[in-house]
Amino acid sequence: MTTLVTVPDIETRFAGVITPDTRKGYQGYIVEAEHVRAFAKALRDDYGYDYLASLTGVDYLPEGKMEVVYHVYKSTGGPGLVFKVQVPRENPVVPSIVDIYPGANFQEREAWDLLGIRFEGHPNLRRILLWEGFWGHPLRKDWREPYFEEEGKPFSSRWPHGKHFHHEDKNPFGKNVDYPPGFDPYTWEPDTADEILYQAVLQRSEIRDDLRTERVVVNLGPQHPSTHGVFRMIVTLDGETIIGLEPVMGYLHRNHEKIGERNTWIMNIPYTDRLDYITAMANNFGYVLAVEQLMGVKPPERAEYIRVIMAELTRIVNHLWAIGFLLNDLGAFFTPALYAIEERELILDVFEATTGSRMMNNYFRFGGVARDIPEDAWDKLVQLVTDRLPRKVDELDRYLTNSELIQSRTIGVGVLTAEEAIAYSTSGPVLRASGVPYDIRRADPYSIYDRFDFDVAVRYHGDVYDRYLIRIDEMRQSLRILQQAVKQIEQEAPRGAPILAGKPQYQVRVPPGESYGRVEAPKGELGFYVVSTGKPNPWRYHVRAPSFVNLTALEAMCRGHKIADVVTILGSIDIVLGEVDR
Amino acid sequence: MDWAMLIEWVVKALLLTVILLTGFAYTTYLERKVLAWIQVRIGPNRAGPWGLLQPAADGIKLIFKEELIPAYADKIIFVLAPVITMIPALIINAVIPWGREVVIFGRKVALYLADVNVGVLYIMAVASISVYGVVLAGWSSNNKYSLLGGLRASAQMISYELALGLAFLPPIMLAGTLNLREIVEAQRSMWYVVYQPIAAFIFLVTSIAEVNRAPFDLPEAEQELTAGYHTEYSGMKFALFFMAEYTKMIAVSAIFASLYLGGYLGPFESQFPWLGPVYLALKIFLGLFLMIWLRATFPRFRYDQLMALGWKGLFPLALLNVVVTAGVLALVG
Amino acid sequence: MSLMVLFVLMGALALAAALGLLFARNAVYAALFLVLNMLALAVLYLTLGAPFLAMVQITVYAGAVMVLFLFVVMLLGAETLREEGGPIAWQRPLAAILGGVLVGTLSYILFVEATTGKILPPPEDYATPYALSVKLFQDYLLPFEVASVLLLVAMLGALVLVQIERKRRRNDDQTSD
Repeated sequence: MTTLVTVPDIETRFAGVITPDTRKGYQGYIVEAEHVRAFAKALRDDYGYDYLASLTGVDYLPEGKMEVVYHVYKSTGGPGLVFKVQVPRENPVVPSIVDIYPGANFQEREAWDLLGIRFEGHPNLRRILLWEGFWGHPLRKDWREPYFEEEGKPFSSRWPHGKHFHHEDKNPFGKNVDYPPGFDPYTWEPDTADEILYQAVLQRSEIRDDLRTERVVVNLGPQHPSTHGVFRMIVTLDGETIIGLEPVMGYLHRNHEKIGERNTWIMNIPYTDRLDYITAMANNFGYVLAVEQLMGVKPPERAEYIRVIMAELTRIVNHLWAIGFLLNDLGAFFTPALYAIEERELILDVFEATTGSRMMNNYFRFGGVARDIPEDAWDKLVQLVTDRLPRKVDELDRYLTNSELIQSRTIGVGVLTAEEAIAYSTSGPVLRASGVPYDIRRADPYSIYDRFDFDVAVRYHGDVYDRYLIRIDEMRQSLRILQQAVKQIEQEAPRGAPILAGKPQYQVRVPPGESYGRVEAPKGELGFYVVSTGKPNPWRYHVRAPSFVNLTALEAMCRGHKIADVVTILGSIDIVLGEVDR
Repeated sequence: MDWAMLIEWVVKALLLTVILLTGFAYTTYLERKVLAWIQVRIGPNRAGPWGLLQPAADGIKLIFKEELIPAYADKIIFVLAPVITMIPALIINAVIPWGREVVIFGRKVALYLADVNVGVLYIMAVASISVYGVVLAGWSSNNKYSLLGGLRASAQMISYELALGLAFLPPIMLAGTLNLREIVEAQRSMWYVVYQPIAAFIFLVTSIAEVNRAPFDLPEAEQELTAGYHTEYSGMKFALFFMAEYTKMIAVSAIFASLYLGGYLGPFESQFPWLGPVYLALKIFLGLFLMIWLRATFPRFRYDQLMALGWKGLFPLALLNVVVTAGVLALVG
Repeated sequence: MSLMVLFVLMGALALAAALGLLFARNAVYAALFLVLNMLALAVLYLTLGAPFLAMVQITVYAGAVMVLFLFVVMLLGAETLREEGGPIAWQRPLAAILGGVLVGTLSYILFVEATTGKILPPPEDYATPYALSVKLFQDYLLPFEVASVLLLVAMLGALVLVQIERKRRRNDDQTSD
């Protein structure tokens, strides 16, 4: 739950350049494009807002404006500040703030890719989620996807009489695919953009005046057993040492944000499950939080407790999976992974009994949760939380942490210092393992986390070993929260209390405005930036994915290490391609 | 020419080869089952009762797979490399004593294939030759990373051969002979693992590195960019590499048993010579189980750590052990 | 009798391998022919009653030295040799003369000295490890030690070269910031 602030003396200092955003439901400042760099610099250096949480673009077609929205926070905690830059829609150019907030790198590239906003001064402004040679910018409001039917669901061909047809069936050879001018699909030959990419990568890497060493560009392709999904890294090697690394993503890009704009508000909830598909409940949580802020709805007590319980169980599920697969990358052939996954299966049984599905839960609703936890699932949950999981986490710790092989492979590898971690906008375990105790549940509390007594796990070396240890620490803290929650829920809101504010509805009306809802997802800060114009469908729906932004730090972590360490470092960041690519 | 002896040799050789190849097939089955049980799973249980026909199913599948040869690969060597890897794995078993003499059809038949006076040296020689298959496989794939993977795998094998050779020495010194059968016989009073625990440990570790098994299997791991020297291999050629690896595992377990665990010796072996192979088989099974257990438990070494361990850790230790053993033997007489 | 057959076969194989080594286009093939040659030689040693020497020949020569040869050839990518120019002018006649000397000496020994009994057959266990070690560590101790000092010098030289390379690389790392 974010309450965004206005900082009064900033208005006097930058008077004339910034104006408060006075649209209904909006907050923050609108900064003029030429002055945004000075403003950002002042925010970072003088006012202490050194953590850029989110950078995204919005297309306001009726007003003819493109807007870039920045959310910044202090790394010491507290509410954040939002400011925007508005530029005309034709040929939008905004100065880049990558040198001030390096974490803006990938997010500015995404805004260029999907909206066509050009960032001046960006060192590498290329498409990130789509491929070079794609024509058009999909998130623009005048870009129609193939087989476009209507602006917003429910489509009239489907509802309400039940006799629906598919638009594509009516138009099999139709011309509703937009080709760039002069493009002939029958004579087009795909050019190999890869050689150009490799040449560019080779030239961008550090120049060494050394004729004897051979700099090689190697591709850790999208098909690789250890890259946790379809993720590609182009690595520049000097012998066996890495001197440059360029992540290439977008192999799983599904244009989730455009689909979100077509969906109605409540239809989006199952789609959020599929972002970080390992932690479905956490994604639900972020989205409903953002929309509830706009609607002004507060869930009842029992629903809040259930939400916290589900979120913390999801955190344990995720960390078990992450540790298992990190050990798998280190070569311990699946044995620790399967031990961890066994515990995860028990938690997923509880999820299945409650929500009907093990992974894609679709559980949270605006104002509560969909259904209550059944009796037998509740008993199983209590038994897990109080007895089995603490034992199993201790067991995992006991036989993995002091293993000399693991220590020699992970200590000192992939170090990220605290300043770098904040600058690159990393979040979650990656940030906290580098010594920055920033946890949104404490820094900017949402839901009922302020009622629970737990510590923020933090480690200080920032290497792969610390990122492994911190996940074990976080699992222990989650178990603490869970044990308090299962006791308190019996006293505060026993079975039978309402779990949804108001009646369940299919069509929700969300008042106009903007909202940024951030939660501490297991992988980091998961933020949803939604803009509503009062219609049944969102105007803009943006997902600030933790894995995506954490990858900005990958190159800094890998430089100087051997090629065999890349997979280990990537495993320690713990990415899921569903949310990297959306 | 004694035709009976010739027939005896041929029959023994054929029998040994058949036993080894069946043993290899069921070692793969054993590995999958043991790994599965350690990982709280079941392992193959569909093909045949308890999954016992799984190796047959795998073999049939591999035979039917398409045989690919990369475009600019050196065809002759590409096809020969798996064969060159497989042959040392098979012939190293020629000197292992499976038992003493038994009487079959009124004829004294010795339960070992070749009683060579330099048996241990023969093992060392064949182990050195087995490096070629790996190197040639990596080179003939016409793939820079396969070549590097193959060279690294062979460098690893050569480095660990030093310590392995030194770990061979203490039983030779204690028994006073290079003949493997006589070394086994010399352990009638006490198995050598009791006198030479350090050398036994070094032998185990270096032989696992020789066979490229976990935790020393970085050349085959996915972190080596490609899967190392056997990336470009598919179908039966790929199967031959794995055949070689598992057969070497069996051979190494058998040699360890012969040198340190008393080979075919065991209770009541002198009255019933046929118990000899049974005991040796039990000890081989123990060695295989240990290797599979290690694979299930440990992460793998990075390449530089592996080489450092071999050169800076095991080799000096083995050398020291040999010197001390020699000194003690010279003093005791 | 069978030993004689084996001897002749292995000799022919060694000869064929040597010819293959000379005429192979590809350096890796040439190295592999050399390995085959050495293996044939080892079997020849076996037929002559020197099993220890045979095994050591395989272990050291075919198993270590030739592997290193192959490493160098493969790393340098020297598999495709190009004929650079022709042979040097005085090589062919010199080769003919020296070859003739070799053939002459060998045939003299083979056909004259061997038949007149000047060459004695070796004793029964002339090549057992015991006999070899007695000779090596008692009669020929000094050459043995000199050879080991030579090997030590070679090892130290390799170490020094690596240290120089490492120091140069570290300087480069520090200067190129």
